[in-house]
Amino acid sequence: MQLASKAYDLNDHAAIQELYHSSGWTDGLPIVPPTPEAVEACLEWTMMPPDQLIGIEPVRGLAITAEKLAINAVMAGCLPMHFPVVVTAWTAMMQDEFLMHGATASTGGCAVLVVLNGPIRLELGASGTFNALGNSDRATAVIGRAVRLCLINLMDVRPGVIDRSTLGHPGKFSYCLAEDEEDSSWLSLSEQRGLEKAASAVTVMAAGAPRQIMNEWTTKPEEILETFAAEMRANLRHYSIHPGNYALIIPKQLREHLQAAGWTKTDVARFIHERARIHRREWADVGKGAVVRDRGDSVYAAMESPDQLLVIAAGGPAGGFGAIIPPWLGNKSHAVTMAIGACVDCEPPKK
Amino acid sequence: MIIRVLDPTTEKAAPLGQPAPRLDTLKGKTVGFISNGKEGTKGFFKHLEKMLKDDYGVANVVMRTKSNYSAPADPHIAAEIKNWDAVVSGLGD
Repeated sequence: MQLASKAYDLNDHAAIQELYHSSGWTDGLPIVPPTPEAVEACLEWTMMPPDQLIGIEPVRGLAITAEKLAINAVMAGCLPMHFPVVVTAWTAMMQDEFLMHGATASTGGCAVLVVLNGPIRLELGASGTFNALGNSDRATAVIGRAVRLCLINLMDVRPGVIDRSTLGHPGKFSYCLAEDEEDSSWLSLSEQRGLEKAASAVTVMAAGAPRQIMNEWTTKPEEILETFAAEMRANLRHYSIHPGNYALIIPKQLREHLQAAGWTKTDVARFIHERARIHRREWADVGKGAVVRDRGDSVYAAMESPDQLLVIAAGGPAGGFGAIIPPWLGNKSHAVTMAIGACVDCEPPKK
Repeated sequence: MIIRVLDPTTEKAAPLGQPAPRLDTLKGKTVGFISNGKEGTKGFFKHLEKMLKDDYGVANVVMRTKSNYSAPADPHIAAEIKNWDAVVSGLGD
């Protein structure tokens, strides 16, 4: 296998770490040395030649090749079996509707949330239970980190360069979770978004930090979901009224009350769509009176339609907690779901 | 023991975005502004227009605002650039 990347021959691991840190090639944490052998193993796993074009970054026309993705994936700690997820996440991010340049350059400081569905979660040991939005397992940790290192090194999304985030958030180190499909009677996120259950899939979303809620004092679906909707209303008031993809993370304790009452994800989304909306005049209550102007009676929904809500079953088995994950800036970026191993530019099958 | 490791960057400059030739003078020229449309752009570009005309003799200033402040300029705005001698693409957070 003929790799094209410039090679450096170094004497020890300390020298490797210093080269990568001093060159601005890391996220500040130590990296796994991307040796030719480790990179080739990733490419062989996916049966990709090094120069396979994963896509052209739409704004600056940067060519993204499998070899460069693999180098960054190895640096993040990925094993070859993790690499197909990184490739698919990046393929999804390069779809026009994701608006990758805007989402990664913006002062808004979002991260790329990666959600895993389907059999590959089990193959990788990606856990959707305890600490689902934190350091839950190796697979989600390294996949999320790989997505960020690729942004840093392939698109110059470095703080102060292309990344102009005012604050950012901790998800910019790694922001990946697996849905807990085994302990849920609901359709998975990727099934809700039109893929077959047997397909392994990745969903990417330009996402703010999680906002956690708690309500362990009711079993009524309407009351449980009202707490989620209230947190979304808070986001509409305090952050942005732009409608778009929100994610709802519903752990087992609250999920079981909803499922016992017969509520599907679609039912959840319809309820949230009705309840997660504010009047523009409410901005005056939070110090933004200057932009209410003469439109105080206008109503702003968090989503244009219920199907913009990404309902995800994940979280540890105990605790009346949940989270909403707000969009970077409403519909400027749309979540993209893509099957792993799917060809995105093949002709559809002829009937 | 020597360990061989690989460069993680693209190693190539972006194919787009080469700077245009510099102008010898701004006097009598037409300058286009492409604003991202955010709140801070209004005062900034208004002041810049005054500076360019009063201090540098710019003849005309054309102001255009992107429809999406997070995306590249709309094609119809980009198409206008050929009519200008210089362009200022500005942010106004």
